[in-house]
Amino acid sequence: MSADPSLLGSGDLDEVIRRTIADVLMVPAERVRPETPLVAGLGAESIDFIDLVFHLEEALKRQIPIAHWTRFVEERLRGRDLATAITAEFVREFAEREAVS
Amino acid sequence: MPERVVVTGVGVVSPIGVGMEAFEQALRGGRSGVGPITAFDCAGFETRIAAQVDPGFDYSPYVVPAKAVKLMSRAAGFAVAAAAMARRDAALPADGVAADRLGVSLGASGMGPADVDMVEGEIAAVLDAVRASGTVALDVPAFARAFRARTNPLSMLRGLPNIAAAHVAIQQNARGPNSTITTACTAGTQAVGEALRAIQRGDADVMLAGGADAMINPVGVLGFSMLGTLSRRNAEPERASRPFDRDRDGFVMGEGAAVVVLEREAFARARRAPVWAELAGYAATCDAYRITDERPDASGALAAMRGCLADAGVPPADVDYVNAHGTGTLMNDLMETRAVKEFFGQRARELPISSTKSMLGHMLAAAGAVELCASLVALRSGFLPPTINLDTPDPECDLDYVPKVARPCRIEAALSNSFGFGGQNACLLIRRC
Repeated sequence: MSADPSLLGSGDLDEVIRRTIADVLMVPAERVRPETPLVAGLGAESIDFIDLVFHLEEALKRQIPIAHWTRFVEERLRGRDLATAITAEFVREFAEREAVS
Repeated sequence: MPERVVVTGVGVVSPIGVGMEAFEQALRGGRSGVGPITAFDCAGFETRIAAQVDPGFDYSPYVVPAKAVKLMSRAAGFAVAAAAMARRDAALPADGVAADRLGVSLGASGMGPADVDMVEGEIAAVLDAVRASGTVALDVPAFARAFRARTNPLSMLRGLPNIAAAHVAIQQNARGPNSTITTACTAGTQAVGEALRAIQRGDADVMLAGGADAMINPVGVLGFSMLGTLSRRNAEPERASRPFDRDRDGFVMGEGAAVVVLEREAFARARRAPVWAELAGYAATCDAYRITDERPDASGALAAMRGCLADAGVPPADVDYVNAHGTGTLMNDLMETRAVKEFFGQRARELPISSTKSMLGHMLAAAGAVELCASLVALRSGFLPPTINLDTPDPECDLDYVPKVARPCRIEAALSNSFGFGGQNACLLIRRC
């Protein structure tokens, strides 16, 4: 299985990420902006990121081991406050990396 | 002597009504909650009826934040709603009790996947695996791949039996003792009884106690059906649950939740709480005999009734009403009748004993809790809920089961029985105060 190439590097991926985050956190899509922190801003908890990765699998039509997410967070956000550092933009970057890997 | 404990609030999500007003009306009117199963397509099932909670009932308004519903089984959602209703009924505000003095004790099902969508994921994964491997024997690696693709990881958490009590605690900020009892048909009664003990031990001032269950899914219905325990009166759902009737043919599955607020009496009086009744006695025993057969001499059930009244310090002569376990299975009907006769002696003939399962169906882990609520309503509102559908009493069932219609009656003390698969027995006694 491979990602839908049309999603990559386009505005569509932004929209997919926004809708996925909104669905998973059950908030209106308008509240999800690139800079919105998922924990501090939208009330995400650890289990929601498991759910988010599951939904990204469906959206990107490819398997994403949860370890990929954990590693991505560790590499990119080591030492930072995860409550504010994990934003919609950060999720988009993860999705992009997964889509091409 | 331990301090007295009182019931100050009651919340019910049941097949005959959500909320106490609807619940009481249905009990009074002898209304059946049984109908055709609509939760899934049960064509070809031997049993196609159940007592379902109104499909229009939505527990999500009781859940904050909204996304917490993702981690709730249907049963947990019912529990959260019933707990919120009970607390409102008890007029116990957020700052009405210290969070660490408020606990939760719930009866819950231990069966894992409790919801149709979860079962569907597993079935789909099995089918995918069979297709992939081209053989009927389950190819586990293929199943694993399919399961992984089909199943949201969160469903695992939804299926754990302790999660309903955790959700109630989160919603109610209850940071005191939190326990889950999984003794099947006895769980709700035992959960309330153990909450009574927690307060008596001094572990909490207030406990939210009850039970929740929702097993009306393909696996749950097939499972009980294959054991031969379910009524197959599909053409007449409302007449299917008929405890103590000669023409019974098994129990009817129900679903829902019931939660009561229990308080140390002094605590309740100090805050001028409304009081339904005293929760005066509790006992639990086990037959230690066979999984689905009761002891022929009913000694396990007898010991539970005896222990409960001794715990309350109430003589059998003071009990005015018994809410029977009353499943509508031949074995239970006969055993319970025998136990009541043996325990109450001569008085058994005039002691009203009714089965509200005739209306509610068998709410399994919630059954004992919702039946306690039925007894609380009976005590407060002055009527005996009937055993509906008791058209032709079984010749061996010759007690006053309050047949067919509710009866006005002032109750001082009521006993609620639960005797489940596994031989676990538990009884609760409430008393006017």
